[in-house]
Parts: sequence; structure tokens; C-alpha cells
Amino acid sequence: MGSSEDKADVLQGTLALMILKTLDVLGPLHGYGMARRIEQISGDLLAVNQGTLYPVLLKLEQEGSIASQWGTSENNRRARFYRLTRAGQKALQAETSDWRRTVGIMERFFGAKAENFR
Amino acid sequence: MSLFHRIRSSLRALFSRRDFEAGMAEEMGFHLEQYTDELVRSGVPRDEAARRARIEFGGVNTVKADCRETRSLDLFDELGRELRYAFRSLRQSPGFTVTALLTLALCLGANLMIFAVLDAVLLRSLPFPVADRLVTIFNTYPKAGVERDGSSLTNYYERRGNIPAFSSLSIYRFGTAIVGQPGSTVREQIAQVSPEFFTTLGVGPAFGRAFTEAETTFQTDHVAILTNTYWREHFGADPHVIGREVRVDSFPRTVIGVLPPGFSFLSSEAQLYLPLSSRPEDRTPADRHSGGNVIQTVARLKADATLAQAQSQIDVQNARLELDDPKAKMIADAGFRSLVVPLHADQVAAVRPVLLLLQAGVLLLLLIGVVNLVNLLLVRANVRAKQGALRQALGASRGFIVIEALTETTLLTLTGGLLGLAVGAAGIRLIAALGADRLPLGAHILFDARLAMVAVIAALALGAVLSAPIAWFNLRLDPALALQSETRGGTAGHAAQTLRHCFIVAQIALAFVLLAGAGQLGLSLKRAMAVSPGFQSDHVLSGQVSLVGNKYPSPLAGLAFGERFVDELDQQPGVLAAGLSTNVPFSGRTGKSAATVEGHILRPGEPTRGNYSYGVAGDYFRAMGFSLREGRFLSNADSRRKERVCVVDEDFARYYWPNTSAVGHRLFQGSTAGAATEAFTVVGVVGSVKQAGLTDDTAQGAVYYPYIDRPDSNLYVIVRGSLPPAALARAVQKTVRGIDPELALNDVRSMDERIDASLVTRRSPALLGGIFAGMALLLIAVGTYGVLSYAVAQRRREIGVRIALGAQASQIRGQFFTLAARLLAGGTIIGVLGAWLTGQAMQAVLFHVPAISPSILAGTTLIMLAVCLVACLLPAHRAARISPVEALAIN
Repeated sequence: MGSSEDKADVLQGTLALMILKTLDVLGPLHGYGMARRIEQISGDLLAVNQGTLYPVLLKLEQEGSIASQWGTSENNRRARFYRLTRAGQKALQAETSDWRRTVGIMERFFGAKAENFR
Repeated sequence: MSLFHRIRSSLRALFSRRDFEAGMAEEMGFHLEQYTDELVRSGVPRDEAARRARIEFGGVNTVKADCRETRSLDLFDELGRELRYAFRSLRQSPGFTVTALLTLALCLGANLMIFAVLDAVLLRSLPFPVADRLVTIFNTYPKAGVERDGSSLTNYYERRGNIPAFSSLSIYRFGTAIVGQPGSTVREQIAQVSPEFFTTLGVGPAFGRAFTEAETTFQTDHVAILTNTYWREHFGADPHVIGREVRVDSFPRTVIGVLPPGFSFLSSEAQLYLPLSSRPEDRTPADRHSGGNVIQTVARLKADATLAQAQSQIDVQNARLELDDPKAKMIADAGFRSLVVPLHADQVAAVRPVLLLLQAGVLLLLLIGVVNLVNLLLVRANVRAKQGALRQALGASRGFIVIEALTETTLLTLTGGLLGLAVGAAGIRLIAALGADRLPLGAHILFDARLAMVAVIAALALGAVLSAPIAWFNLRLDPALALQSETRGGTAGHAAQTLRHCFIVAQIALAFVLLAGAGQLGLSLKRAMAVSPGFQSDHVLSGQVSLVGNKYPSPLAGLAFGERFVDELDQQPGVLAAGLSTNVPFSGRTGKSAATVEGHILRPGEPTRGNYSYGVAGDYFRAMGFSLREGRFLSNADSRRKERVCVVDEDFARYYWPNTSAVGHRLFQGSTAGAATEAFTVVGVVGSVKQAGLTDDTAQGAVYYPYIDRPDSNLYVIVRGSLPPAALARAVQKTVRGIDPELALNDVRSMDERIDASLVTRRSPALLGGIFAGMALLLIAVGTYGVLSYAVAQRRREIGVRIALGAQASQIRGQFFTLAARLLAGGTIIGVLGAWLTGQAMQAVLFHVPAISPSILAGTTLIMLAVCLVACLLPAHRAARISPVEALAIN
């Protein structure tokens, strides 16, 4: 693959999608909770610094895909909770279908043999 | 990316920076705590856990910095990017940008210039508190031919306190006075006012006091109020000026007050304010109608009173007073009324039509410019349509492209607006040079914040207007079609082309109207200038002198001065004739009086006419170059004669003695016949002169009396000489001072200069109209050139094919000339209609120029033809020279 910059960009895009999906499945979460869940689901293959979550959360909030609210955590501490908005729901669906299509196309390429190219 | 959300978050970001920072800190603190706790629960010691948590988190400060950066990657940053991009793309097409900026700057600048005048004269209220409550009252005798006769002293004394609608009523009178110590006297403008004048206006002396009732007699009126500038210049801003002395007309007066800085009453340049004093015998009912348009009234309506109420109250009072008025029948026949009108409106009534006309003209110019710009922008959008379509195919949103176009247009209009401000400021100086100070309230034309704001708003509005068609164009564009098109220039929609042609036709029509209008103004000026004033105005010098002080207690003293003056001047070489008069043509004084003709029976309802009356001495008639119709001129001897004689002009003679000679008939001064010894015998008839102005068509009639029978201490001296004007002026001045060193000669101008000055309100609009028409022609030329160039570019292939098949160059050229001719024809037809309509509307302003003037229409058509011809020369020429090989090779 390319340089670390490319990796970071790709990761940013996919991180946003992961956040949306996580919120979709698990409902409102705070930043820490999301970081832990994403680590779990990705099977610890994603050894990202947890801090990188926050700029992405900010961007998603700017775009209107998620909304935030201050609340109390499980251990009675003040924390900012994020939830998926309706616009975010739509964005999630669109992005998901885009991804699936891309994956499908790439699959056909990877599965192609030399003959198919002639 | 929802635009709404981004705007909302950007605005929020603007205002909640502190909250943002605090929230961020708290959120990250929470995250670290949780993680630390979790590690501790899994057995890691607390210190170690905290350290690991921080490492895994990844540097709190870095994360915070990233968040801050994300937050600011919002609308405002992007706006900056857009602007930079727009600026670059404008710079890359200098032809377009320069044309657009010039068009905007000139059109906006011209509008600002005229608006500044409009604002200062028509829109801004007078600088007094609640100025819309100020009114003026004047007497009018329409059937006697006297439209305005001001007010009389009697009117004032009878009205004040007796008309409930007014909270305050006062009179004023402008004049001049010789101010200063003997040897250094200067003639200053002054105003004489009644005691409650400043109360009526609502602005009084800054310190000191106003006049009292006691100070309105000739014995007790030796007080004066200074204007602030006069106090600064002549009294050194002395704080103890109250009580000091100022010499006015060689009498000392005590300073009792100083007005606040910036005080100005209408257009007056009065430096001192004096009491309007009079004798009790001048305030009787007999003098009720002897105003002579010298004294004017200003009154303040009460807050709850209306103009109509005041008018009816005045009418009622007039009717009551008329019952025992000795002249009741005469004034009734003359159609007498006292009219109450708002002060501001009355002052500007004469110039209002002209100013509105100029503003309309300059708005028309702006319209032409805007159409030009829309055309230019559409062409540009067309050219970049292909580029835009490509970008859309690569993922740019349609809205993005539109925003880009809008940013460019707004940047253009704002820059053009700024340049327009500069042009407007320069234009205001031009207006001042053209004689703006002659406009009522014209001294206050300023370039100020209000004007700048108007400019900004106009620029923004223009930006919106220009952006609309561009946005529409871009939104409706089908990228697929654009990509497929053959020509480099993008789509060649038939609808777009028709639209462009319609625009040009509209522009040509508008420019036609402007040009025709300017032509009519010019013709009007020419016809006004061609009117003969009735005397020979070349080589005649005129000046004013006031016989003031105790040396001239009676008319005989004035006569002696006049005789001596004429004698001494006659001896000077280069002087052909000299005389004096109490009034001269084009002096601005148009007061009329009545004369009763012996034996003339008034028909029922026929009023006694008002006519101009002059008291003359010396060789007045010869000096002015009057033409003698019958009999003889007056001479100095007539003032010393026992028999009373007079001279009338031919208008007067024709009116009263249409079938016989006027010579030998008799008349009386005033509105009633008197004793036989008071009759004046007519000894001569002279040609009529234009007293009020060259365009004054009413033949009011004039009677000339010997000075002794119609004296006035304010005299005009008239000298006809062969010396150059400056030398003549010096000689006259020397003669005056030689007779009496305390006298000053002022307002020394030749009669030609006076006539010229009277035409300023015709000349300036004609000049401005010409300038605007010229600008419109330039815009038309640019617009036509643009449209035709584009047409050529679009049909390159077609032309290339035709040339390859053998078409002649002249045929190709002819095609485009025909196109231009068709556009011109369309525009001209509409333009003629428009010119007729505006000609009708302009009748109030024009002099002897009909709404449709064939010569003007023909001239306008020719000029437009020439301009369009020149504009399409280059494109047609280029079309004919297209190389077929090149044209066919274009993809």
C-alpha cells in the first residue's frame, strides 16, 4: 500500500463509517465506549490511537450525521453522548451500499484469471 | 454534506469557542479516566495505568489540535478559498474583467453622483427640528400675471398670533449691507428677520439672545446677530463679543448673539442677521398688498394641525379682512389668494423635474450596463460550461459550481462598487464645478457615509441581479450535452442566442431614448440661448451700489450721485454711455407693481395688471442698447423737470393702446388713478426686454420712470464701453469711490455674464445628458461587438465550409452586417416609441422643443447607425478572413 498518509485518509473514511454503524447497532454511546466497541469488533486488528476518534466525531457532527448531548455515564460521571440522526441513518445506508458495490467489483477482479483479460 | 448543517455549525463555532475548548477538555479527561480505571481493574497499578492510557490515547494535545483544525475547516475557510479562486479566474481573463469593472464603475458612479444631488436637495429635510412642519405663505394674483408676491408687513402683523394652526409665524427678507469700518467696508449678505424667526425655525443663537419686539423700529433696531463663521473671521471668536459694536451701513450696531456653527437658512449666505424693522405706518391695511416679493413668511405648524387647516384659516382671515380693504375689488379681480405650502417643497419646486429627469437618465444608463454585463457573464458561463460539465462528471456537486459562479459575480460587483464610489466622488466635484451652488440647498452636496452605504447596497443588489441568470444557467445545464458539444465554446442553444439578441435590441432602444433625450435637452438649451434678450448685451458692464448712510437722506441726493457718476464716466475714454437703474434684466428680482392707465376702463373681472417698473437715470437706454420704437428715451433732465414723463415698452403699449400710438397717453403709479398733477405722460416706447429670464414668455410689460419718481437706494450702474471688461470695471469702481469713498461697487459683471449665468439650470442638465448618452453609446458599442464576435466564433465551422465552397469575403461580411442591421432596426423602432414617451414627460423641462422632433430622431438614428457599424466592423472582417482549414479542423 502507499505511505502512511494514505493509510490515515483511508482510515478516516472507514472510521466514520464504523462509528455510524456502531451507533446504529448499539444506540447512543460516549466517545470512550465507541472506541472500545470498535476495537472489539475489528478484532484488535485496528490498533488505532483512540484519540483519532474525536476529530472524526467532530466532522460527523458538523455534517449533521450524528448529534451530541451531555449526560451521565454508568459510573455517574459527566460525559458527551453521541447518537445517529436521521440524516446519518441515510448516509449510513448510502455508504454501505457503495462499499458493498466496490467490494463486489474488486472481488470480480481478484477472481479473474488471465483468460478473462484477453 | 448538508449546507444548512455546515452553516449552522460554523455559526455555532464562531460564538462558542470557550465552550468548545472546555467541552473538549472534559470529554478527553473522561475518556482517559475511564481507560485508566479499566486498566486498574485488570490489575495494572494506577500510575502505570495512567501512563499507558495516555500513550494509547495518542497525545491529548495533538488530538485537541486536530479537533480545532477540523472545526475551522468550515464555511469561512472555504469562503476564503472560493474568493481566491474567483480572483484568479478573473485575473486570467483580463478583457472580460476590465470591461465588466469599467462598466460597473462608470454606471454606478454616475448614479451615485446624481443621487448625491438628489439626496441633498430633495430628500434630506431642512436642518431644523421637525422641519416638515415648516411652511411658507405667499400672496398670488394669478389673473394680474403676478404669480408670487411674497408677503407684506401688514400680513405679518395681522396674522401672527391669530392663526391657531401655527405655533409660530415670522417673516424674513434677504439683502445686502455695507459692513465694516470706513475705509475697509465690504458688502455682505444679510438677512432681516422678525423677532420670533429663530423660535419658528427651532434653532436659536448659541449664546446671547434673539431679537425682541421692541427692536423692530428704525430707532431701536441697532442690534445684530452674527453667524458663527463671521464671528470667527471678524471677531476672532471672541467669547466676550456680546456688547461689541459692528458697523452696518455706516450705523453702529450692538452684537447681541452668535448663531451655532453650521446654521444655514435655505440657500442664504447671510453673514449677519438684523431685525426686520419698519414704521407703524407701513403696517396698515393700505399696505397689505404691496409686498413686491421682497418679504417672505416662514411659519411652523402645530404638531396636530394640518396644511389644509392652516390654508382654510388663512383664507377665512383674508375674506374677513377684504370686507374693509380699500382695494377689495382690485384684488378680487386679480384672483388674489394667500397660499400655504411646505417650505422645503416650495424651495426645490423649480429644480425637482430636472433632478428627477437626470436620475431617470442615469438609471437608464445603469440598466444598459447591467444588460451588457448579463450578456458578458452568460457568454462566459457558456464558455466554461464544458469545463464545468467535466468537473461535475468527476464528482463536483452542481451546487458547488453554482456557488463558484456566484462568488465570482459578487466579487466582481463589490469591486466594481468600490470603483464606482471613487467615480461618484469625482463626479460630485464635477457637479460642483457645473454650478451646483446655484441649486437651492445645493451647497450641501456631500460625499458622506450615507452615500457610501447606498453604494454598497446597490453593489450587493446588482450582484444578486447578475447572479440570478448565471445560477439559472448553470443549474439548468445538462452536463452530458455540454460534454458532447462540438464547438470549443460549449452549447449553442437557440434560446440562449435569441435571448442575447433580445438583450442587444433592448439596449439599443434604451440608448436611443437616452441619446434622444440628451439631444432634446441640448436643442432646448440652444433655442433658449437663441432668444434675444431685447437689448444689446455685449460690451455692457453692470454693477450694484447701495446709497447708504446719512449722505443720502433723500432721492435728490441719489439723483445728484447719479448725475455726477454719469458726467465723470462720460469723460473717460472708451466709455460710450452710462446710466443707472433700480433694476436690470436678469438680476433675479422679478417684483412687479401696478400702473393705472388714464382712460382705460377695466372690463368686469379684468384685473389691474402687474408690470415691471424701473426708475432710471443717465443714459440707461443707450447704455443697455434698447431699441426705440416711438418717441424718445428718458434722460437726466427728466428728473429735474416739473412735468412727469415716462417711457413704456411695446408689450405695455400693445396691451393698453393696441390701435393707437402710446405716446401722449397718461398713466398713474399704483392701482388707482390720482390727481391730474400725478399723471405721467408717455413720451416714448422701447423694445421689450426679458426681465426674468430668456425663457420667460409672458409679455408682462414694463414702465420706465425718471429716477426721482421711483427712487431706491439700491442701484444698478450700467456702462457700455469699448474697453476690455477688466479695465472698464476698474474705471467704474474708481469713479464710484471718487465720488464717495464709503460706497462699494459689487456684483460687477457684464450683461453677457448675467445671461450666461441664468442659463446654468439648462446648460448643466444638457451637459450631463450628453455625457450619459456618450457613455451609453460606448456600452452599446462594446455590447454589439461582443454579441457579434460571439456569433462569429459560434459559426466558425459553418463559415469555414462556406468559404471553402467559394463564398466571397463580402458575402460573409454582409451576413454579419445584416445581423447587426436587424438588431439595430429592432432597437430603433422601440427606441423611437420610447423617445416619444420621454419627450412628453420632459415637456416641463424643455423650452420650445416638441415631444417628437424629426431632426433629433434622425440625428440619433444616424449616430446609433455609425456606432453599430463601427462595432461590427471588426467581427465581420474577422469572419471573412477565417481560414477554412483552421475552421474545419476544430474539434
